[in-house]
This record gives sequence, structure tokens and C-alpha cells, in this order.
Amino acid sequence: MPGAAWFWAAIALYGVAGGLYLGFLVGLKESATRAARAALVLGFAAHACEIGARGLAGLHPVTSVREALGLLAWLTVGAYLAAGLYWKLHAVGAFVAPAAVAILSTARLSPDPGGGGTEGLGVLGRVHISLATAGVAIFALAAALAVLYLVQERQLKHKHLGRVVRKGAALETLDTLVHRCVQVGFPIFTVAMVTGALWSARRAGGLRPEYSLSMVAWAAFAALLVARMTAGWRGRKAALMTIVGFASAAVVLGIYLARHVGA
Amino acid sequence: MGADLLVVGLSHHTAPLDVREKLAYPEGALAAALAAVLELPSLGEAVILSTCNRVEVYAATRAELAASALPAAAGEVARFLASSRAFDAERLSRHLYEHTGPAAVRHVFRVAASLDSLVVGESQILGQLKSAWGAAAQAGSIGPLLGRCLERAFGVAKRVRSETAIARGGANVSSVAVELATRIFGELAGRQVLVVGAGKMSDLAARHLRADGAGAILVTNRSAEKAAELARKVDGVARPWAELPALLVACDIVISSTGATEPIVTAAMMKEVMKARRHRPIFVIDIAVPRDVDPKAGKLDGVYLFDVDDLAKVVAENLAERRKEADGAERIVLSEAAQFVGWLRAQGVVPTIKDLRERFTQVAQAEVERTLASGHAPGDQEIRLMAERIVNKLLHTPLMALKQGEGDEAEALVTAARRLFALPEERAAPAPMPAEPAADAGEAAETPAPRAAREKT
Repeated sequence: MPGAAWFWAAIALYGVAGGLYLGFLVGLKESATRAARAALVLGFAAHACEIGARGLAGLHPVTSVREALGLLAWLTVGAYLAAGLYWKLHAVGAFVAPAAVAILSTARLSPDPGGGGTEGLGVLGRVHISLATAGVAIFALAAALAVLYLVQERQLKHKHLGRVVRKGAALETLDTLVHRCVQVGFPIFTVAMVTGALWSARRAGGLRPEYSLSMVAWAAFAALLVARMTAGWRGRKAALMTIVGFASAAVVLGIYLARHVGA
Repeated sequence: MGADLLVVGLSHHTAPLDVREKLAYPEGALAAALAAVLELPSLGEAVILSTCNRVEVYAATRAELAASALPAAAGEVARFLASSRAFDAERLSRHLYEHTGPAAVRHVFRVAASLDSLVVGESQILGQLKSAWGAAAQAGSIGPLLGRCLERAFGVAKRVRSETAIARGGANVSSVAVELATRIFGELAGRQVLVVGAGKMSDLAARHLRADGAGAILVTNRSAEKAAELARKVDGVARPWAELPALLVACDIVISSTGATEPIVTAAMMKEVMKARRHRPIFVIDIAVPRDVDPKAGKLDGVYLFDVDDLAKVVAENLAERRKEADGAERIVLSEAAQFVGWLRAQGVVPTIKDLRERFTQVAQAEVERTLASGHAPGDQEIRLMAERIVNKLLHTPLMALKQGEGDEAEALVTAARRLFALPEERAAPAPMPAEPAADAGEAAETPAPRAAREKT
């Protein structure tokens, strides 16, 4: 496997970061989050090297869903690190870092169906996969933030200031961040949907059934943005919609991956 | 010899409120009390800490007293406390505790770090201790020892607060209100606060929120006069009672404590308010009994409603968290107290070192002067005699003490002399058996006794 050393380094560092962030949530001091962030930054760098090494070996990140998943994990971690520059989001790290380990492991350790190379995809295919990956990465971060929001909101509603509430970000901060992520991710995902439709239309077999599931994801985010603008939808409802949207997009990715692996 | 520290006092741990309030010193009486403490025969420095939860005298004994004088000094303070507050000494003694030496240092550090407080981790005690320190400094009753001890105590308190979470989480309704508002909104800057009714707790909570950066405070009450009065107190703006629904829409934090017997904010009203707010979250603190806000309103999305019981639950959780942190804080106190006691012990030796050096220098100088007084350059023999005279004079008193010492004291002196002058251990063994005359003769020449004998010649 090209870049195997970088891959294992990234997995180990993401694992350490995830462990430290989770440890922080269950009792470690705040200094643990500095170590966690350092590990995550190093893991992010190792992951970049891994993607680079694979690229040099001809396995471009947008070759397939399998390759794109590796890029998705990298983008999600990058988006989290960037957000962490402006907001105190240690608790979110406890979701993002383990998710990065899971996604990257799935991408690299699932059986390789063979093939690869971007030749068969064409420009449209490559643009579609790139944008869809970037969009889903941002939605993944939004979903992590939304889960944290729901946990905290539940604790506050039950008048119980648990560890997550004590150590997480403020509810409104989380709500705003979920909204920002959706605002950024939605246009990217929209273009990915359009290019995906055009690309599929040109290919033999036309649109696949899972495209309708992608539409569910897109519709969920579209409805969320509209409802927020018109009826002021926010908070718990917005968090739930975000999770539904991301889950639909993730299922589509899963179906693609399963099909390619099974092929 | 050397000054040492002691603490005599009582606190919520040992005395009920009626005893504490009787013993407490009003602020105006502190200076006179400090002056009176300093007149006690054994005390050189004193600070009186008098709060609603404790009355304690921190004191240092006079430098010339032996460490064994500490219990007597503590007794003097106890008698002083009883007489100065017209308290029955016998009754008071049942509530008093005394700490001396290292235990006193640990106690002062624990008090400063708020580990001995009724609400562990509360910050008020540190301010009260600083005031007590200031009053003592003004009265001139604080010296280098107690001053250093208290300064270190302030440092320990700071360390405990920064290295443990002992002070995290509000421990009363007002600070919990701020904590919850921060958990919901993050920054409080620009958040308008609405005070409904005119309860004292609302006043306190509003001030706390303002101190933490909240924006304007709006006050409404059925009585416009009362609203205006409270608005003046909290530097807020009074608004008519009829505007309540509109005020709920405009403000993010609401503190309600009216005397109404029926809810003044119903679930239906709150539903309309949330629509008008476009579902922006609202934090409602209902400290009225009976409640001002229908509990069903708290079930609506975005409404975070806390009544008196909910706040009490959060306070209890916070206190439990603080107690968990107390172990780490105790470890810090112990290590800092050990360091301070080490410094204190070193201070006790300083005068002795100084006197010893002076005495040796005097003897040496006197002998040098005597030798030079002959008017000519001293020869070898004169210098040797001078050296012998110096040695004899310096050793005279210690050797007499060694010879005249009895029992345990003699043994302790011999051990101390061997240790102080780094004499080899084996020399401390009992006198050799007569069967070893050679060794006996050889060593006898170097034992202190013959030297002492020579000195007498």
C-alpha cells in the first residue's frame, strides 16, 4: 500500500488525539487538549503525506469513493483544526478524531476492488467526487457539532450540568457553527449534485437509485437553510436536521463503497 | 529558641452561629483588639480574621521564647478571646481549636485556599484574609514571620485555584445564574437582562450578570415605584408591567421573583414569545415561590427554565465536583506548608549562627591583639601559643558542658558535638577495654578531656 507508514502514523496520531479529547471529557485537565491538538495537527500532516504518497503512486484522491473517503477524513480534520483557531471546541475533538480514524481505516483497509486511475472519470466525474467529498466532510463536522449540541441541550433541559456541558462550547456557539458549516457545505454539495447528475446522465445506466438518497441529504440541508431564514429554525430542530442530512449523505457514500468493493 | 506560629480560634466546624456571632469582631474593634493581643507576654505578631464563619487569631510568639512556650501562648490567646468578647472562658474553650508550628501553617494555608470553608472553593475568604492582613499591617501587629506566612498563603490560594477546579461551578444562586447563562450564550456581552419583580435575589443575580459583561438591565414590576427603585439600585431601566410580553421578546436572560400566586408567564404566552423571538434561546431563572413561570413553558424548544429547586440541584452538583477537586488542593497545601516550615526552621537558627560567629570572631581578635601588643613581630612560638589559647577559649564552655552533663542530656551533647564538629563515629564508642593499652593511649591524647585539662593550666 503506497504511503503505508504515513497511514499508520496518521491513524496512531488521530487515535492519540481522540483518546486525549475523550479523556478531557471524562476528567482529564484542559492541558490534555493541548496535547490532543498537537497530536491531531501531526496526524493531519502525516495524513497529507499519505495522500501525497498515494497520489504519486497514481492513486488520486478523487479516483473513487474509496480514495475520496481518505480525503474526506483529512478535510474534516482540517476543518475542525481551522474552526478550533477561533472557537473553543475541545469537546468536538472527541467526535472528530475518532471519526477520522474510522473513516480513514475504512478507506484504506477495505478490500481494494482494483482499477483506479482517473482516466475513466473524465473532468465531470473528478469535479463531482471532489466537491461531494468536500461537502460531506463539512457536513460531517456539522453533524459532530450537532450531536454535541443535542447532548448539551438535553443535559441543560434536565437541569444537569454534566461533564459535556461543563467542558463543551456554549449552546449558541455550537448552533452558530452548525449553521455556518451548513452554509458553506450546502453550495459545494449542490454543485456536486448537479455535476453528479450530468456525469451520471452521460454514463451508461444513467442515474443510480442512491442518487435519490443524496437528494434526501440535499433536501434536508436546503429545508434547514430555508426554515432558518424564514421561520427562525435553530437549536434542537436544526441539529436533528443536520444529522439526518449527514446520515443520508454518509449512507450514499457507504453504498458506493460497498458496490465498488463488491464489484 | 525563635519565633513560631500558632492559630487559636473557632469556625463553623466547631461552633454554632450564636457563638460565632458573639465572638466576631466588628470592623471598628479590630485595631484595639490587635493592640491588646500584642500586649500578651508571649506574642510578637498577630492577625485577627473575623468573618461570619470563623474567628481566628493567627500569631507568632516572641523570638526569645523557646518552642515549648507555644502551648502557653495559645492559652494566652484563648483567655484573651474570652475576656475581650465578654465570653465565659470555660464555655468558649469547648469550641476553640489550637494549632501550633507546622499544623498552624497548614491551617492558614487551608483557610486561604478555601478548603476549610463552609462552601469549599468559595473566593470570599481570600478577600477577607487579605482585609485582615491589611488591618493588621495598619495596626502594626504584623511582622516578618506572620507577614511571610500570609503572603505565602495567598500564593497557595492562587495556585490551588489555577491548578485545580475547586472554584469551578457556582456555589450560590447568583453565580449559578451566570454560569448557566454562559453555558447557553457563551459571551454575555450585549445580552439584555430582564428583572421581573423586586426580590433581593433578583437584584444580586442581575448585578452578577452585569459584572460578567451582560448588557442593559430592564426592570418591570406591577408597582411602577418599586420597579423604579430597583432600577436605580441595579443601574437599570424601569419598564411598565404591561410591556412584559414585549420585554420577554427583547431580553435573553430573565430573572423572575414576584409575589404572584399564579404564574405570570404561561406556556401559551411563552410559545408566542418564542415565535416572536424567532426561536432564539431564552434563559429564565424563576426564583419565586410559588413559581412565576409555568413549568410547561420550560419544555418548549429554546426555553431554558430553572426554578429554585433546579438551581439548588446545580449548586449541589457543583459542590460535589468541588469536593472531588479538594484532594488535589490538599496535596498542594501540604507540599507548600512543608516548604514554608523548612524556611521557618531555618529562620529560627539564624540568630544562633550570628551569635556564634560573633563570639568566635571576638575570641580570635582578642588573642591576635594580645599577641601583637608585644610590639615586635611574633615568632613561631608566640603564634603557636596564640592558636592554642584561641582553641582553649573556644572549647572551654562546650567542654565544661560535656563534662558536667548528666544522663540523656550528656548523651545528646556528645552526639551533637560529634555531629557539629564532624568527629568520626567510632570515637563515640564506650571506653576501650584495658586489654588494649596501645589503642587506649593513642586515642586518649586526642580526647577532649586532656585538652580541657590543659586549658586549666
